Amino acid sequence: MLGRGVKRKWSCLEELEAETLPAAAEKERNGEEGGGDDDGFLVGPSKSDMNHLQQRQLVLGLCMEKLQSYQAGMELSLRRSVLLINTLRQIQEDMQSEGAGTSETLLNHTDSCLLREDMQVTCPGCAEEDGDSLSPPLSPEFPSQEANSLPDQQKSLPAAAINTFSDAVSAMGYLSDLTLDDIFDDIDTSMYETSELPSAWSAGSLWPISVSLWTDEDVKMRPPSHPSAGTLQSCLMDLNELDHIMEILVKS
Amino acid sequence: MAGAGGGNSDVQWCFSQVKGAIDDDVAEADIISTVEFNHSGELLATGDKGGRVVIFQQEPESKNQPQCRGEYNVYSTFQSHEPEFDYLKSLEIEEKINKIRWLPQKNAAQFLLSTNDKTIKLWKISERDKRPEGYNLKEEDGRYRDLNTVTTLRVPVFRPMDLMVEASPRRVFANAHTYHINSISVNSDCETYLSADDLRINLWNLEINDRSFNIVDIKPTNMEELTEVITAAEFHPNQCNTFVYSSSKGTIRLCDMRASALCDQHAKQFEEPEDPNNRSFFSEIISSISDVKFSHSGRYMMTRDYLSVKIWDLNMESRPVETYQVHEYLRSKLCSLYENDCIFDKFECCWNGNDSVVMTGSYNNFFRMFDRGYRQDVTLEASRENSKPRSVLKPRKVSTGGKRKKDEISVDSLDFNKKILHTAWHPLDNIIAVATTNNLYIFQEKLN
Repeated sequence: MLGRGVKRKWSCLEELEAETLPAAAEKERNGEEGGGDDDGFLVGPSKSDMNHLQQRQLVLGLCMEKLQSYQAGMELSLRRSVLLINTLRQIQEDMQSEGAGTSETLLNHTDSCLLREDMQVTCPGCAEEDGDSLSPPLSPEFPSQEANSLPDQQKSLPAAAINTFSDAVSAMGYLSDLTLDDIFDDIDTSMYETSELPSAWSAGSLWPISVSLWTDEDVKMRPPSHPSAGTLQSCLMDLNELDHIMEILVKS
Repeated sequence: MAGAGGGNSDVQWCFSQVKGAIDDDVAEADIISTVEFNHSGELLATGDKGGRVVIFQQEPESKNQPQCRGEYNVYSTFQSHEPEFDYLKSLEIEEKINKIRWLPQKNAAQFLLSTNDKTIKLWKISERDKRPEGYNLKEEDGRYRDLNTVTTLRVPVFRPMDLMVEASPRRVFANAHTYHINSISVNSDCETYLSADDLRINLWNLEINDRSFNIVDIKPTNMEELTEVITAAEFHPNQCNTFVYSSSKGTIRLCDMRASALCDQHAKQFEEPEDPNNRSFFSEIISSISDVKFSHSGRYMMTRDYLSVKIWDLNMESRPVETYQVHEYLRSKLCSLYENDCIFDKFECCWNGNDSVVMTGSYNNFFRMFDRGYRQDVTLEASRENSKPRSVLKPRKVSTGGKRKKDEISVDSLDFNKKILHTAWHPLDNIIAVATTNNLYIFQEKLN
C-alpha cells in the first residue's frame, strides 16, 4: 500500500488506525482518529490522546527527514518545502498549547532532540506516557535540568545545528537569509555563526527552522545596483566572467 | 448537440486507444506530464518528462464506421525543451514539460505554448504538402549548379509531396521566472498570456519575448515569513481582464487587471472555512489546491485539492456551491500517504464541453467523473486489461467498510504508484484522454 518500497514504521499506529476505523464509519464522520477532539467517538479519551501524540511524533520525525533529504543537483520544490515547514510550525503550536513547559525550555528541549545524530525524536508527552514501545532518550526530568543548563545549551546549539543542517542546506544550494557579503565569504560552516542564527533561536518563537531553508533567489539574479562593497562588485564580475567561460565551453 | 455531456446515466464509456510503451518498465523520460486538446478537439497534445511534445490528430470520421469517432494518430513529435544547467546555483533545470496550452487557430498553422520550470516557448505546427521544384541555380538534390551550364531561365513550380508536419519555435520567453513555472494561460484576447510560478505571475504579449509585466507578487520581503505559494493560475475564458490564482493554503483569488497594474489586491477571495472536525496535522497539505479551471461558460470555476473537487460560483466567495469527494477513504490514511510523499501529488481536473460533468484522476489508475446535473458519480479504470476495442468500461468501487463485496477493491490493495494526474476532455464530444504514468488512454462514448 505504501508503494515506493518505504518500510512501514510505527506499525503500532497503523493497528490503532485500523481499530478506530469502524467507529469512524459508524458515525459517518471521517476517520480522523488523530484528532484530539473526538471525545466519546473513539474507544476512550486516553487512547485518542496517545494516537494524537504518537502521530504528532511520527509526523515530526518524518517532517525533519523530508526537510533534510534532497536530491543533489536538483532544486527542491518550494511548495513542498513551505508545506513541510508549516506542518512543523503547527506541531510546535500544538506542543506549546499543551503547556509542555516554557517556550524556552521547549525550544532547547526539542532542539537537542532534533539535532541528535541518531534522529531520535520525542516530544515531552510521548517520553512520559509511553516509555515501553518507544525508546526514551530523555527522562521526564529533563525539562527541569534544562533550566539549569540553559546557557550551555545556547552556546552549543549553533554548533549542533550546523552539523545537522549545514550539510543539507549547502548541498541544496539554499543559504540562510544573509547579506550578500556573507555569501561571498569562504563557504564554510563559520558563516552560520553570524548574528542571524543565534538571535533567531534565542527569541524562542521558532525552531532552527526559522532559518529560511530557501534562498532569496532574486538576490542572486539581480545585478548589483551600486557597489556597496568593492569585494562584492569584483566577485560578481568574476562570476559573470565564469558564466561567460562556461557558456563558451559548453557550446564548443 | 449530440454527445456533449448529457447525464452520466446515459453515457457508457468505451476503450478506444492506448498510446505508449506496453512493458511495465517505465523509462523516466516517457512519463507523461501534461495532456491538452486543442480548441476544436482535432488535435491532442502530450508533454513528457523528457521535454518532448507529441501531437495526435483525429482521423476524419469514416462512413464505414459511423458508430466510431475518428482515431487519434501521431501527427507530430518534437523536442520542445532541453535540460539546462544553472551555473550560478549549480542546479539542473528539468526539461519536463509542465503545461501545454493551445492558441485558438487563426490560419492554416497551429500554435501552442509549452513550458518547463523556467522557459516558455511558442511553437508553430504547420503542414507542408507541396514543394517547389525547378530551381535555376540548384539541382534537385540541392547542389549548386555550375553557372556556365545555365542557359535558360524557368519559373519554379510547386509539386505535391508527402505530407510533412513541421514544428518550429517561433518565440522563446525566457529569464522571467525565478521560481518554478506551474501554469500558463492564454487570454481570450489572443494577444497576451500569463505565466505563474510559486510566487509571481507575469503577463506576456505573444509577439514580444524580451519583456513581461509582473502582475502578481506574493513574495514577502523576508523569505522567512513565507507561508504560502501560488499553485495554479488561469485567465477567465471570456473576460480578458480577469484571472484567478490558487494557493497552497486552499484559497483562490480573483483579480481584475483594470484595477491596477500590480494585482496584489485581489478583487475576490474564495475560501471555505475549515471543518474543525477534520482538523489534523495534514489539514493544510490536503487543502493545497493543485488545479483551478474555469467552466467554459465562465460562470463557475473548479478547484482540486487532495481529497475533493469543488465547484465555485464566481459570485459567491464564502463557500463552493458543490463539493465532490474523490477518494474520501484516503482520509484515514493520510499519515501513510504523508510518509510516502503521495500527499504532495498534484491532481488536475477538467470540465466536459457543456460544463455538466467534471473529471479528475485518483490512484490505482482510477479516474472519477461527477455529473453535476444528475448528481451521480462513477469510478473508471485505465488499464491494459480493459483495452479490447470498444469494450465498455465497468465502474469500479473501493470498499471502505469491513466487508468487501465481489469486484470491489480494498483500500489497502490500491497501487499508489499508479496515479492519474492528467486528464483532458474533448471540447465538443464525449472523448476523453487519460494519462497513466507513461501511457495515454483515449476513451469514447459508446454510440449505438
